[in-house]
Amino acid sequence: MKRAVSYWILAVVLVFVLYVVVSVLFFNRDGPAILGMPPMLFWFTVVPLVTPGVLGALYLIDRRVNPQWEEEGYDARG
Amino acid sequence: MPEASVILLIALLAVAVITVGGILIGQSESQNLEGWLVNSRRMGPIFVWFLLGTEIYTAFTFQGLAGYAFAKGSSAFYNVALNDVAYAIGFFILPALWLIGKKFGHVTQSDFLAGRYRSRNLGVFVALASAIIMIAYIDLNIEGLGAVIQVIGHNVFNQTISDLIGFLVLALAVVLGGIRGNAWQSMIKDILMFVAVIAIFIVVPLHYFGSFGHMYQAMLTKIPKFLVIPGASKNQGPLWLITTVAVTGMGQWMWPQWFGIAYTAKSPRTLKLQAVFMPFYQLVKVMMVTVGLAAVIIFAVEKVKGNDVVMLLALKTFPEWFLIIFTVAAVFAAIVPAGPIIMTSASLIAKNVYGAVKQDAKDRTVYALTKWLVFPLTLLAFGLAAAAPALIVVVLLIAYDFISQLFPAVVIGGLFWRRATKQGATAGIIVGWVVSGVLLLTKHDPWFGINAGLVALACNFVVFIGVSLLTPAVSRDYLDDFFATAFPKSRRTAKVAGAVNTESPKA
Repeated sequence: MKRAVSYWILAVVLVFVLYVVVSVLFFNRDGPAILGMPPMLFWFTVVPLVTPGVLGALYLIDRRVNPQWEEEGYDARG
Repeated sequence: MPEASVILLIALLAVAVITVGGILIGQSESQNLEGWLVNSRRMGPIFVWFLLGTEIYTAFTFQGLAGYAFAKGSSAFYNVALNDVAYAIGFFILPALWLIGKKFGHVTQSDFLAGRYRSRNLGVFVALASAIIMIAYIDLNIEGLGAVIQVIGHNVFNQTISDLIGFLVLALAVVLGGIRGNAWQSMIKDILMFVAVIAIFIVVPLHYFGSFGHMYQAMLTKIPKFLVIPGASKNQGPLWLITTVAVTGMGQWMWPQWFGIAYTAKSPRTLKLQAVFMPFYQLVKVMMVTVGLAAVIIFAVEKVKGNDVVMLLALKTFPEWFLIIFTVAAVFAAIVPAGPIIMTSASLIAKNVYGAVKQDAKDRTVYALTKWLVFPLTLLAFGLAAAAPALIVVVLLIAYDFISQLFPAVVIGGLFWRRATKQGATAGIIVGWVVSGVLLLTKHDPWFGINAGLVALACNFVVFIGVSLLTPAVSRDYLDDFFATAFPKSRRTAKVAGAVNTESPKA
């Protein structure tokens, strides 16, 4: 269970940093365009596509280390 | 303008037909409080996805977000970030709440708090306060509905009467259909909303700029201030973005209606899957922010209210037949999300306040009272909207900061920190609310660039921890069982409901 919690916290921090730290540090400017788009708009279009990847990876790890109710292995020690 | 009346009438007729469909579908599955409110915890991933989507993507997304970008520029991106941070947080906490709710029979957030802290009074306190805060949230959707009908109808219908008709339909649908009926409406609403959002997102650049490339180029050259923060917003800088996303991300699952929707899921895994796929919904928000930024150029010489931007663009751009679809989507975006909010608000008062005061009340009586309360609560929201429409925005801002103050009690103390006590939780919540209220009402939001809600949450944390350490904790045996339900550490083979453990849980 501790491993599951650690991975979860890591994922939360990663999503948070991608959205508000990376955007502020690298994309908070009015040009030049990235792929034709304003930098901030470009980044906030990319991150919603990246986030399911981050949480999908967390889901796969969670399946392995943290079986849920009614799943095989739920009785595994956390 | 007769065309406007015809468009509105056809759109409202379509809304009525879909609502009746929801009633018929939901009626057979809403025979008791658990079935009506949480669909007896039997909803699969697709329905839960739509239900969560409905609650999160409301009139604010459809109309308000474009309006916010129109007025404040890139500050609107905070709203894209907040939900994804919340999904990441929810990945772990919602399944844990579900497991505890399943074992102990919780159907509301107040049940959970009363159970965790073994305090009926804390449950009553939070239930009443949450029910009041949620009325402000219902008002938001009333405002959205009014804007749709006013803009499309060219003021043919009086706003208050239009709102009243829409919400009476909603109240009937909620009473008769319950959460299952609402899920069907949600599905229709979400599909229509997707169609409407994608249509306006594609048509606006092509119609007004010639292509997406030309639109983005026009933004870069004509409105550079709207593309950065603080930029057009003046006082919403990087620190504001970081702290606002932090506080609202933590606060999202504290809204009792979303808490309730988590209980509708068939299994914890359903909720984890939601967290993975829900971020795709955020692209809808990005589209609406883009439309709002484009509107800054389109309406450069016109005086337009932010909330009317989307409907005015639709009116100027779409043919009449599509305007009907657009209007139905907009009306549903306002009224469907209000369903679970009203239901949750009613159930908090009936179950957690009345049920606590009159402990011998039968389940049937509580269920009947919950359904009956839907009407007065809806009317109360109407009364507030009609009496103080200008104040509602202020009330809503305060409401969001207020609801976030439940985070330490629900998540930190509720799931992780055994030493947390009811006194600590109560004192922390009250301090958080007082600090939020003072900062917001004295116009100190942001406070030195920091979101006022986060300042209040910091005070809340300190008081929560300090008071908890000074007061007696809940008994260890009880907490062992409570926490072991969410975080099992011992071998067990039986199902949680009516569980027969092969070993005593030792957390």
